[in-house]
Amino acid sequence: MKVRAVQFGPALGDVGKNLEFHAAQVARAVKDKRELIVFPELSLSGYQLKDLAAEVALRPGGREWRQLEKLSRAIDIIAGAPLEEEPGILRNAAVYFSRGQARHVHRKAQLPNYGMFEEGMVFKPGDGFHAFRIGPFSAGILICREILFPMLAYLYFLQKTDLLIGISNSPQRGIGRDGISSFQLWETMGYVFSQFYQQNYLFVNRVGFEDGIGFGGGSFFARAGRGIVQKAAYVDEDILDAEVRAADVRRARIASSYLRDDQPALVLKEMRRILHA
Amino acid sequence: MLKIDCRMVEKILTAFIKDSVLKNGFRNAIVGVSGGLDSAVVLALCKKALGAAHAFALILPYRASDPDSLRHGKMACRKFRVPFEVIDISPSVDAYFERFPTESRLQVGNKCARERMAVLYDHSARQQALVAGTSNKSELLIGYSTQFGDSACAFQPIGDLYKTQVFELARHLGVPAEIVAKKPSADLWPGQTDEGEIGIAYKDLDVLLHLMVDMRWDEGEIIERGFKLPLIRRVRRMIVNSQFKRTMPPVAKLHARTIGIDFRYLRDWNK
Repeated sequence: MKVRAVQFGPALGDVGKNLEFHAAQVARAVKDKRELIVFPELSLSGYQLKDLAAEVALRPGGREWRQLEKLSRAIDIIAGAPLEEEPGILRNAAVYFSRGQARHVHRKAQLPNYGMFEEGMVFKPGDGFHAFRIGPFSAGILICREILFPMLAYLYFLQKTDLLIGISNSPQRGIGRDGISSFQLWETMGYVFSQFYQQNYLFVNRVGFEDGIGFGGGSFFARAGRGIVQKAAYVDEDILDAEVRAADVRRARIASSYLRDDQPALVLKEMRRILHA
Repeated sequence: MLKIDCRMVEKILTAFIKDSVLKNGFRNAIVGVSGGLDSAVVLALCKKALGAAHAFALILPYRASDPDSLRHGKMACRKFRVPFEVIDISPSVDAYFERFPTESRLQVGNKCARERMAVLYDHSARQQALVAGTSNKSELLIGYSTQFGDSACAFQPIGDLYKTQVFELARHLGVPAEIVAKKPSADLWPGQTDEGEIGIAYKDLDVLLHLMVDMRWDEGEIIERGFKLPLIRRVRRMIVNSQFKRTMPPVAKLHARTIGIDFRYLRDWNK
């Protein structure tokens, strides 16, 4: 499956402009014969929404939603938005549109709420990590901070996914002699998911600035068992094309039998013991 | 401890300048060039971000300014090939103090800083150029600036770099060695130096600020690192007492939604 990550900077709160950009990128991806196009977290709205969140939320069946469904007749799309499924209740969500319909919604469960982050003031956390089908693949979505909790990716590993998609709005931070330390967080997890969960993993981060906070880009594709094999630019807008192959997952599982040897029942037993101690 | 990857910093800061200018509907930036390090660095970054045709400099000497400041200001502009204009602020500053005489050199210094701000903002309109700030993190944290004077700007490219890091970036960007080598000074009166006035060398102040602010070390840990308690407390007081310079003035809340309190939108709203 030919996938494309679009690394860009949405206009904060200008859904119309961002949707136009999505449509233009979809048209370009269709022309380039891609099968799945993935936009970053909150790609339709921008990140630091504060009081804007309720004003720009995406509503199932609403005008923007229908337009995305229409766009997905030609190509599968994953886009990020503040989602209002129940009146007045917002979630930070990723929506998978395919063959003219929304087919899957992932609602972010890990909402960062410290320092510069205040997602807990805006969103209600999601409560599930459900694998879903993208063409021939079993896939799972993680949103930003969820990526940094490896036990959440493990839930998809247990569901035998072949493709993880991580969408992010990661602010670049931690300058030192070796560059920006936050870049390493995401790449480390890319290595972990690829090597130990034997996943094909597409990480899509945004770029651009919101009131001085810069988002670092550095989207990448990690091939199952092989680590990061392709990387987009840091800081700048970029497009990353990759090819996801089921054979890589099979090959990785044969080479190192982490999935076969995994003992989820043991993990569950121990978790119950620890939690109820 | 404070070493930086200058190439990455340059990449981020030039992207930030470009973004700040273009998303606000401008194409140009204007920099008040003092002849010192910070404004030379910001000038170089603006030139790299926007191109020579979209960066402008104003050199704004007062009659008591060190002649080297003017010379170094011109040197920086010529080095980075940025068009500049020299505007002597003495007539307007002196006209004011003829009416309201003072013996306070601090008042004169503050007046000069605010006069420069007024000229820069007027030229901002004339040139359709946003005013680029030149404050660094060290001076922002300890409040070593004139409110509504040198701290006034549309965006702050080097506001998260300590002074010692600005030195490193300056060498990377090719700021003339003579400017990098001279002692930092606000040049508010003859012989003034930042370090003399603040009472601590930047190389120590910056490590102390980094430990206090970025690393969140407590007093005990910082003392173990070799700093004396009275200095730690003095710097902490400087940070606390200058918080008013880093925030908008408070609005007295009366309605359900109040500006600055719970009317919560970014400056980059719809941009």
